[in-house]
Amino acid sequence: MREHSGIYPRGLWPAFALPGVVWLILLFLVPFYAVIGVAFGGVDPIFMIPMPAWNPLEWNFDSMIQTLRGFLPGGDYWAVFIRTTVYVGLALSICLLVGYPVAYYISRHTRRTKSVLLALLVLPFWVSYLMRMLAWVNLFAPSGYVNEFLAWSHIMPDPPDWLNGNPISVILALVYGYIPYLILPLLAALDRIDKSLLEAARDLGANPFSAFLHVTLPLSMTGILGASVIIALPMFGDYYTPNIISGSPTTSMLGNQIDLYFHGGPQPSIGASLTMILALFLAVLMTYYMYSVAKATREVRDE
Amino acid sequence: MRNHDAGVNAILEGLRAGRISRRQAFKTLAALGVGSALLPSLTRIALADDALVGPGGIPLARPDKPVTLPLWEDPIKSGLAPETDGTFTIYNYSDYIDKKLVDEFGKLHKVKTQITTFDSMDQCITRLATHAVRADVTNITPDRLAQAVAGKLIKPVNPDYVPNLKKNVWPTLHSPFYDQGSRYTVPYTVYTTGIGWRNDKVKEDIPNLSNPWSIFWNSQAYKGFVGVLDDSREALVLAMLYRGKYDINTEDPAEIDAALADLKALIPICNPKVNITEYQTLPEGTCYLHHCWSGDLLGGVFSYMPEGTDPAVLSYWSAPKGKGPIQNDCWAISASTKKPVLAHLWLDYIVDNTVATDNFLNFNGYQPPMNSITPEKLIAEGRIPANLKTAVMTAEDFGGDAIQEMTLTPKGQALWQSAYAKFVSGA
Repeated sequence: MREHSGIYPRGLWPAFALPGVVWLILLFLVPFYAVIGVAFGGVDPIFMIPMPAWNPLEWNFDSMIQTLRGFLPGGDYWAVFIRTTVYVGLALSICLLVGYPVAYYISRHTRRTKSVLLALLVLPFWVSYLMRMLAWVNLFAPSGYVNEFLAWSHIMPDPPDWLNGNPISVILALVYGYIPYLILPLLAALDRIDKSLLEAARDLGANPFSAFLHVTLPLSMTGILGASVIIALPMFGDYYTPNIISGSPTTSMLGNQIDLYFHGGPQPSIGASLTMILALFLAVLMTYYMYSVAKATREVRDE
Repeated sequence: MRNHDAGVNAILEGLRAGRISRRQAFKTLAALGVGSALLPSLTRIALADDALVGPGGIPLARPDKPVTLPLWEDPIKSGLAPETDGTFTIYNYSDYIDKKLVDEFGKLHKVKTQITTFDSMDQCITRLATHAVRADVTNITPDRLAQAVAGKLIKPVNPDYVPNLKKNVWPTLHSPFYDQGSRYTVPYTVYTTGIGWRNDKVKEDIPNLSNPWSIFWNSQAYKGFVGVLDDSREALVLAMLYRGKYDINTEDPAEIDAALADLKALIPICNPKVNITEYQTLPEGTCYLHHCWSGDLLGGVFSYMPEGTDPAVLSYWSAPKGKGPIQNDCWAISASTKKPVLAHLWLDYIVDNTVATDNFLNFNGYQPPMNSITPEKLIAEGRIPANLKTAVMTAEDFGGDAIQEMTLTPKGQALWQSAYAKFVSGA
């Protein structure tokens, strides 16, 4: 007997998914196909604006091949790709190191305190990302508060120049900008862990650290992966953080190259090809995440 | 007749191969009695030799190769009454025209006014071409004119409505090389690309260096406080000028690669910031040395000088005529206008002495090419500090021997863009 054959009309439950499906089609699939069309299309001979090729039979692969060559060692995009991967990898690691304990801490509280802590966590969202990054510029300027404190406290009598092509600043800015997006899904995952499992571990002689290592951490692994994917994807395409915090070619990321080619000029197809290659690279991360979730779900069902 | 054709073909072949000059070809063809009949062919061949062709087959204008833009429709008739009611839309960079002056224009002609903005000339052209914006008048740069005319984005101008052009503007811009006869545009602002720096931080006497552009390649002492303009043309041109290459519209891959190599060499020397915020960072002192537009330096002094800081701490150097880039912006009538007469009156309004001077000194810092504005007068009136006289241009800065970044062929544009992308990738 089918669940929906009772009091609800047939097709009601699938209808709830309809807005989401329409949303997905209009705001993701159609734009993404437009990017594909631009990548394999041409440019208007007068205005130099993209002329997407909608028909796959008319696709021109020259730009894609040229862009792919650029990702080979020594190619045009090799250095910037490696730099982007390293920056995102480090920023993600720091986000996890800082964000996991915070999420864990919040999840351990009662509902009321948790609400207050959550409100504090989302407080920075009230200020736009751009403003928060500009605030960093003031903080880390050569005569900003950070350097004044470092010099005054003699921690660093001669403080570094944080904003002039310093990769540490860019990585820290990425961490600052994206960490709330990591904590929230992580918190949701930690919240779902059945507390009785921890009690059982303690009853079986596990100390708090051991209980965390053998119960909490494995059970939150899907949450870690999900949260990591959620922040890694936008970080890979970020271009304004390095622009605002550094502005130096030595810290530019792949997003800056995409921005340059899309911003104008006769090669929008290169920008679109870069976007597609980045999307394919990120699809690997996404696939691994989905595989892990499916595997975890299967294991729970089988138990 | 066959022999006659063979003779003509031989002459044309000789012209193509460079064995005979255009003058010789004309003389010989005239002797054969076919000169005028073959004029279009000759012109095409001559253009192939002398000039590159841009969008819509319009030759690419250069200061020493003026171009008369084709009229795609007739200008409006003289003596028509301006349209009233409705909204008059001005399409422009943000913060590039004083809203107060725009409002006054609206009051004068009893229409509502609206400023719609774009971030870059690419965005401007794209939005006009896709009809995303329906403007009455638009700001435009000379390097995009051929595109706008070939794509019928701007309308021809009837000069009868724009008497201020001849009355107030520098004679060198009455019939500029990019728009002979001012068929589509009136000039708006003029500026040079040069070097801006802080006297209190930079010790070198930049104007008296044998090659002032070389300061960027000798700026180890200012590492982290040096800036290069975030513009694919300007940045690479900086490197070309450093090497004494003055063909700044070159499409020679070797020249562009050499400029890229020089530009990349700057990274370990001074780790330059690549931005266009020098109008703020130089006055604030967060940057010591910046590749700079003259208008941004003046605008910086007018609007961004911290209270109590003497503007004399700022200096600007621009190269002599023909050795450094100059540029000007223009106004044109958008093809989408429903108020063509009023749009003409706007072009006249913008080159009114009072309006132009007010916009320059009290708003954007970008100089209009008015006869009434001279560096000496501005200094005498205390409008700019004496040390920034070099940031003010004169009519003589324009002319056939000036150098100006202009339209490239699509292939040339791709070469420049790819080279610039390699620089900003820090590879």
